[in-house]
Amino acid sequence: MLIDRKTLIKIRKYKSIYLMFVPIAIYFIVFSYYPLILGIISSFRESILIGTPKFVGVENYKNVLSNPLYSEAFMNTIIVNFFTFIVQFIFSLFIALSLNEVKNKMIRSSIQTVTYIPNLLSWAIVGGMWIRILSPTGMLNNILKLIYGNDFNPIVFMAEPRFARTIMVLTGAWKGAGYFAVLLLTAIVSIDQSIYESASIDGASRFKQILYITVPNIVPTMKIITVLGSMNFLRNFDQIFIMGNANIFSKVRNLLCLIYTDGVVNFKIGIATAAATMVLITTFIISTIVRRLTKYDETFN
Amino acid sequence: MLRRKRNQLANELTFSQKVINSIFLALVFIIMFLPMWNVIVVSTSTALGASRAGVILWWSKFSLEGYGYVFKILKLGRAFFNSMYVSLLSTVLQVILSALGGYILVQKELPFQRTMTSFILLTMMIPGDLTLISIYQVNKQLGLLNSYTGLIVNGLISAFCILLMRNYFLTVPVSLAESARLDGASEFRIYWNIFLPLSIPGLATVSFLEFVGKWNSIMIPATLITEQRLYTLPLMLKSIIVDSSSISGMPPAPDNAVMAAIVISSIPLIFVYIFAQRFLLEGITLGATKE
Repeated sequence: MLIDRKTLIKIRKYKSIYLMFVPIAIYFIVFSYYPLILGIISSFRESILIGTPKFVGVENYKNVLSNPLYSEAFMNTIIVNFFTFIVQFIFSLFIALSLNEVKNKMIRSSIQTVTYIPNLLSWAIVGGMWIRILSPTGMLNNILKLIYGNDFNPIVFMAEPRFARTIMVLTGAWKGAGYFAVLLLTAIVSIDQSIYESASIDGASRFKQILYITVPNIVPTMKIITVLGSMNFLRNFDQIFIMGNANIFSKVRNLLCLIYTDGVVNFKIGIATAAATMVLITTFIISTIVRRLTKYDETFN
Repeated sequence: MLRRKRNQLANELTFSQKVINSIFLALVFIIMFLPMWNVIVVSTSTALGASRAGVILWWSKFSLEGYGYVFKILKLGRAFFNSMYVSLLSTVLQVILSALGGYILVQKELPFQRTMTSFILLTMMIPGDLTLISIYQVNKQLGLLNSYTGLIVNGLISAFCILLMRNYFLTVPVSLAESARLDGASEFRIYWNIFLPLSIPGLATVSFLEFVGKWNSIMIPATLITEQRLYTLPLMLKSIIVDSSSISGMPPAPDNAVMAAIVISSIPLIFVYIFAQRFLLEGITLGATKE
């Protein structure tokens, strides 16, 4: 027998806990595992709406790989998300280090709150805000007008492909910097103060202390941030869905937006699921590599 | 005396470094605050005031007509109700379920506990947005397209929140549960009367995450909802901001109305943030470090 008497008694004793597990199991089966399997199966089938779709092997994968729209979207995803991460990371690091030097509590918490708020808001809100600010009559053009005088011609930022990626990177960093800064600041605050004291007795200036004590001590947190970032490297739907438009799609439309358009809007389910499966595998590989490189798992064992 | 003074100095930046630091922080504040301030001022200006030239950082005339326009003409009220209904109900269900999940994860001597744990944690490897197409198909099969149930059920439980609850439950003394068990309390009673009340910060964090997540969610509603009466705020905002005139046939909304819609969509988020703030830092860090 697989289950002995002792376990059987225990199972009886805890039967209410198994009952608790039932809704959770049903949920994950229906909305996590089943869609995953369904997606993988659909990626090997032709895309038809009525009747049983035929098995077509790796046809869909070949189509995705040879489709210029997908390679374009892949490049956009990598470039925009990579630079967003870098800018956001550096920006938030400076904010955290610099905020830590402020002794006044009011100033400290108000700057921290103001930087954190955009992170709370959806891309529909943040994107809508920036679309208006970047419009020909928006705030940025008005600031430029103040600088360059009245004969300055307003720039239609959201319709210019040459600005598109920069806009996505900067607005992305603007929205996310507060979150990273909170994580880094928490790490900075928890550094043992006696290290600083002994360093200052040894005559190290505060600037040197920041460089040689604070920064090395928050490396573990930086690693976490990098791992979290790498898991989202290929997945940034909301921003482009809201802020993208036909004029700039060639520079910014990313994989998820393309998958959404192909699968949900145009019902090309085979191709879309094949692309999604590839993104899933790539994400997995990237985050595994990053985990290895940062030795993330070792940090917390 | 002199020595003490020198030590103190070494714990602070020099004067010029302080000045540079202050300038940097002032810049940060301006970059972060100015866009948001502009939104607030424009939303409470008259349509004429909102369209005037110049950087708008103060009112030429205070007016709430933008807010009136949003509710009367753009009918944002319905979308606001949809978002509120879906987010609140999801939050309640999510908290109950992830707490249940967390409770299962702390049962040490439960047979098959490891299997159940990996069953839950493995789902963290399956990002919902990448299975979007099949999630659409599943919802279609279940008849959940264009329904409140669909909006509530999708993304209801996350392994992340279960893990967060587990981390809080681990701080509850085992002896408490043991003595309750000896007194003949049922598992559900122990969970309800001992574990839940001792994990309020965890429950607050999970509620906050779920509320904000549902309130801000764009992808799932965009996938499941095509009927305008079920639009949540992000979908509504998108149609107001992005495709206003071209797709919906509505006249383009004036700037003050658009900004008013943005402010209205932000208020509940700011509100829950203020409530959850004191639990939040702990929650975020616990989630990020013990993932």
